[in-house]
Amino acid sequence: MKFLSNGNLRGWLESLMGMGSLIAPVDLEPGLTLFSQVRDPGEVNLEYEITPIPPKDLFFPSSEALFRFSPSRGYEIPRIEGETFLLGVHPCDALGIRLMDFPFLSPPADPRYEERRRRTTIIGLGCVKARPECFCTSFGIGPLDPSNADAFLVPVPGGFLVEAKTGKGARALASAKLEEASIPIPKPPEVSAIDVEAVRKVALSLFDSPYWGRLADRCLSCKVCAYVCPSCYCFDIRDYPTRDGAERVRSWDSCQSPLFTRQASGYDPRQTKASRLRNRFYHKFSYFPDEFGAFGCTGCGRCVRYCPVNIDIRETLSAILRGEARIA
Amino acid sequence: MIEEIRAKAADLLRSGEVKCFIGYERASDGLTARPFFAYSADEADRLIFDGTCVHNLARYLPDMRGKRVGILAKPCDSRSINVLIREGQVEREEVYIVGVVCDGVYRTTWGKPSLELQPRCLYCSKRTPVVYDYLIGQPPPAPESRHPASISEVEALERKPAAERWEFWRSHFARCIRCNACRQICPACYCPQCFSDQLDPLWTGIRIGLPQNWVWNVGRALHLAGRCVDCEECQRACPMGIPLAILNRKLASRVKELFGFEAGMDPRAPFPFATFENEEEIL
Repeated sequence: MKFLSNGNLRGWLESLMGMGSLIAPVDLEPGLTLFSQVRDPGEVNLEYEITPIPPKDLFFPSSEALFRFSPSRGYEIPRIEGETFLLGVHPCDALGIRLMDFPFLSPPADPRYEERRRRTTIIGLGCVKARPECFCTSFGIGPLDPSNADAFLVPVPGGFLVEAKTGKGARALASAKLEEASIPIPKPPEVSAIDVEAVRKVALSLFDSPYWGRLADRCLSCKVCAYVCPSCYCFDIRDYPTRDGAERVRSWDSCQSPLFTRQASGYDPRQTKASRLRNRFYHKFSYFPDEFGAFGCTGCGRCVRYCPVNIDIRETLSAILRGEARIA
Repeated sequence: MIEEIRAKAADLLRSGEVKCFIGYERASDGLTARPFFAYSADEADRLIFDGTCVHNLARYLPDMRGKRVGILAKPCDSRSINVLIREGQVEREEVYIVGVVCDGVYRTTWGKPSLELQPRCLYCSKRTPVVYDYLIGQPPPAPESRHPASISEVEALERKPAAERWEFWRSHFARCIRCNACRQICPACYCPQCFSDQLDPLWTGIRIGLPQNWVWNVGRALHLAGRCVDCEECQRACPMGIPLAILNRKLASRVKELFGFEAGMDPRAPFPFATFENEEEIL
C-alpha cells in the first residue's frame, strides 16, 4: 500500500490524460453525477455518491453501429482506438464489469466488447460511506474490496491509499507521486447482506406464485431497473438507413419492455407484466448463476433507488426467504 | 385523514363495491411512499397519505379495465381520471373515486425525504379533486391557487436567446437513455403501440442517440398537449434529470391561451385536438 496525497492527485490525473482518455465521475447537474470524459482534472468528483448509469456503457455502449455498408464505400467496421483509464469505480461496479465479461467474453467473445475491455484500465475506489440501498456484501465483495479492478484507491484523510492489482494498474500508477503509507486501511462501513444462495435454492419452486402478480401491480414496465443495472446486458439490433446505405445498430433493451419477447408471429411468451418482472429476478438469481456460476447482481442498489414505484429487489429476496412469496 | 382513508377503503372492499383499492403505502425506505393495491379490508390498514404520496395513481386505471376498483385521488390524479374517462379509457361506473384534499406534495426521492413542495404544486390551481364519489379533508376557501413567488422555469428559459435554448435541450436530450420511464409512468400515455415502438414507419426505433432522443422527447410532449395535467411524474421518474415538465407546461399554457382549455378540469369540455368545427379559425 502506498499513499497518494490530494496535492499529487491532479498531476497524476494529468499524466493519465496524456496517456489516453480519462473517464471519471463528473457532476453534470445538481444531484447528477455521471462517468464522463474528463476535460480538466478539477472536474473529477471522487466523493460522489452514485451515478445513475454504471460504467458498463464504456464497454457496452447504450447504442453503437456495429458496421456500415454502402454501394460507394462497401463494408466498414467502426474502429475502436486509444486507451482509456476508467477512474473511481466502486467495488459493486467493478464486479458489474466482471459479470458483463461472462456473456460478452465467453466464446465466441464479442469483438467490440473485448477490444474496449483490453484497452481500458479500471481504477477502483473504495466506499467510505454506504448508501441505504447498498447490499454488495451479499455477493462476496465489500465497500473496500479491490477485486475486479486493475488498481484501487481507498480514500483516507489527506489523500488515498493506493494499490496496483494488475500489470495494467501498475502502469497507470507509474506516473503517480506516491509516498510510503503511514495510515492504516480504514474500517469499511457496515453493509447488510442477504443470503442469496438460499434464495437461489428455493427460487424455482416459487415460479408460479401469485406473489409476482401482486408485485407487478405497481410495476410500470419501464426499463429504468435494467438500464441503471451494472449487470443487465440485453440488447436489440436493427438496421438504420444512412445517406447512401445502412448501418447495423446495437442498442440496450430490457426484458421489462412488452416488445422484448414478442415474436415475428405475434406470439409473446411473456405477455403479462408479472411474467416480465419475474424474469428480471430469475435471470439474476437463477438462470445467470446456472449458466455462469455467479449471481447476476452486484448489490449496488441502483434499481432500488431509481425505480419510480419502489420495486425493491431486496424486499423480494427477503419475501422469498421468509416464504411470503408462497401466498396462495 | 389516514384513518378515514383506511376505513373507507376497507368498507368498499368488504362490501364488494370494489375488487381492489389503489392508494399508497410506506416505501421500503420507511420515509417515502409507493403505490399500493389493497385487495381486502385487512390490507387497507397499510394505506397512508401524506406529502410523500407523489405518484399519479390514475396511471394504473387502464391496467384495471373490466374490474371495479377504488382509487385515492389527489386533485392532479382526479384531473387525469377525467382525461381517461373523456378519452374512453376508463368507464366512470367502474371507478369509485375517493378524493383527497391536497396541500401539495414534496420533492422526495427514495431514501431522501424533503419538505420542499414540488414545483407543480406551486403552479397547481386545485386543492380539491375535480371529480370524486367521496371526499376526504376540508376544502379550503376559494381561490385555491398558490402563486409562485419567482418567475417560472418556462419564462426564465424563454428569455434566453434561441441558441442557448437549443443548447439547453440538446444537452438534456443527449443524456436521455430512452428507458421509457417518462412514458410508462404517464397517465395519459396508454397507447397500445407508442409511435416510438413502431417499426414501420420508423420514427425512432431502438437507437439511443441524439436525433432519436430529440424526436422521442419532443414527440412525447406534443402528444400530451391539452392532455397533460402537470403531475410532473415524468420528470420525477427520469433517472437522468431531464426537465420534461418545462416542455409540458409550455404546451399546456399555449393550449390555454389558444383554446381556453385546461386538461381534465371539465369532463364535458370538447378536446381542442379532437374537435372540428365548420368555419373554424385556422391557427
